[in-house]
Amino acid sequence: MKTSEWLKIHPVKALTVASECSLQDAARLLLDDPEGRDLFVLNAEGQVCGHLGFWHVATLLLAELRPTLSLRELVERITLGTVADHMDDQVMCASVDEDVGDILYQHDLFQQHVERRVEDIPVVDEQRRLLGVIRLSDLLRDAINTAPRVPDE
Amino acid sequence: MEILLIGLLMISGLTLGALGSALFNVPRVVGYILAGMLFAPDFLGGLLGAATTEWTRPVVAVTLGVIAYLIGGAVTASQLRQLGWTIVTATLGKVSGSFVAVLVGFTLLGTTVADVPGWTFTLLLAAIATTTAPAAIVAIIHQYRARGPLTTALLGMVALDDMLALVIFSLVLAAIDSAGFTSAIPAVIWEIIAAIGFGAAGAYAIERAARYLPEQELKLVALLGGIILLTGLAETWHFSPLLAAMTLGFSVRMFAGAHSEPLFRPLEQLQEVVFVLFFTLAGLHFAPAVVLSHAGLIVLYFLLRAGGQIIGAMVGARLAGAPRVISHNVGLIMLPQGGVAIGMALMLTSVPSLGDSALLIVNIVTATTLLTETLGAMATRFGLARAGELSQSAEASEKSKEAT
Repeated sequence: MKTSEWLKIHPVKALTVASECSLQDAARLLLDDPEGRDLFVLNAEGQVCGHLGFWHVATLLLAELRPTLSLRELVERITLGTVADHMDDQVMCASVDEDVGDILYQHDLFQQHVERRVEDIPVVDEQRRLLGVIRLSDLLRDAINTAPRVPDE
Repeated sequence: MEILLIGLLMISGLTLGALGSALFNVPRVVGYILAGMLFAPDFLGGLLGAATTEWTRPVVAVTLGVIAYLIGGAVTASQLRQLGWTIVTATLGKVSGSFVAVLVGFTLLGTTVADVPGWTFTLLLAAIATTTAPAAIVAIIHQYRARGPLTTALLGMVALDDMLALVIFSLVLAAIDSAGFTSAIPAVIWEIIAAIGFGAAGAYAIERAARYLPEQELKLVALLGGIILLTGLAETWHFSPLLAAMTLGFSVRMFAGAHSEPLFRPLEQLQEVVFVLFFTLAGLHFAPAVVLSHAGLIVLYFLLRAGGQIIGAMVGARLAGAPRVISHNVGLIMLPQGGVAIGMALMLTSVPSLGDSALLIVNIVTATTLLTETLGAMATRFGLARAGELSQSAEASEKSKEAT
């Protein structure tokens, strides 16, 4: 199945934020959507230019609760800055003509999850404008439902 | 036999550190150093056949390179601007205060040691005096849930001051390696320029390569390989390995931008391993006879460092117009000295011209680390309490724990 078809069957509201927003505003956006775990940062032309995950926002804003912090995190705790200062600018996006079945392989989502806790794969057009997101939970649900059942003994 | 000894050092250090912390509420560092002392060549180390400690040099060189990389990557240029003048000038004041106090104090008292000129010994101790132990300070901030302007200034300062300390130590090391003042200047210039050049070039290569290495494990190989290669090049071409590793960290952070976390996290997770190694190795060099015969020097170093940094930080903070709550407490709070100081002292054991003075410096720094990790921790708590930045509920809960 192509990603364009998938988006029609599984319409998911993509959470977006401007790069100059504060981290507190980003946290509010994430908290407003109970299922939202990934924020996609858009530039002035509406193109995807970064990603910020729930876990990253939470660790930055709740840094004082952590017993140990590296030197890097100590400085981050007192210089929070904007979304642009913390977003991951190497976002892996899927295109509309990709096959959904290949996405997990091509985007190595599990490694991305280990490193950046990415759960939504953004789908973009040729100008890198966001068309929607493919959610890991939907992929899992689909995999379970379509997997061949083991016949009962 | 050395591999067996390293394993024993790490496991016994971990055991003594954890037991001391859980049963007697002493910093883990104390347990690490005691474990090292147990395996010194005069004690159990002799029975194991580890009569010398020369084999520790490459371990120290590489592990200190890892720490320098992390210190270099702690802050970006834009964060430095955000930190504000109070933190920057108070850090400069604290670092220069401790350096000048130890330098002037030891010089005026005419301290001399065998093997090396007095000024070499004094300069090295003064450079080491500029370091702080962030982990001890952050542990107290967390334990008492401290928050306020002093805590904020403190968090910025502990991240910055080891950076300055590494620069000063590298320059001093370059200068004492030279034969005289006229030859020291070109040597120091070469040490700085080559270190910055190789560090920046290495950072560019690592950042580019990391884009093709999706797995964390492969990034760790690239990072450790890069640091070891840079340290080896520095040894071969006589430039500062510490400055080079620090430049590597700073430049990797700059080139990778917001995507830099995967290039630091794997090594940050190794930091405690590095510090356990440093403290146990320092304990391994611990010689009771040297400590007892130089007890006066140890006390003098402790007092000069403390006095210098309290006054220096106060002057620096006042120059930036900081409120009294910051300027009068910040130097006192930063008394703990730890892993970086120990690492620097251990590095001196590989400088042939220092002879037995290196062992004396290791012992002075180890003994004062034991003092500052215990007394310094109390000073940190006292300063934060005086500033009214400790959480009332956290203080009450600590008092009830002590009462039971």
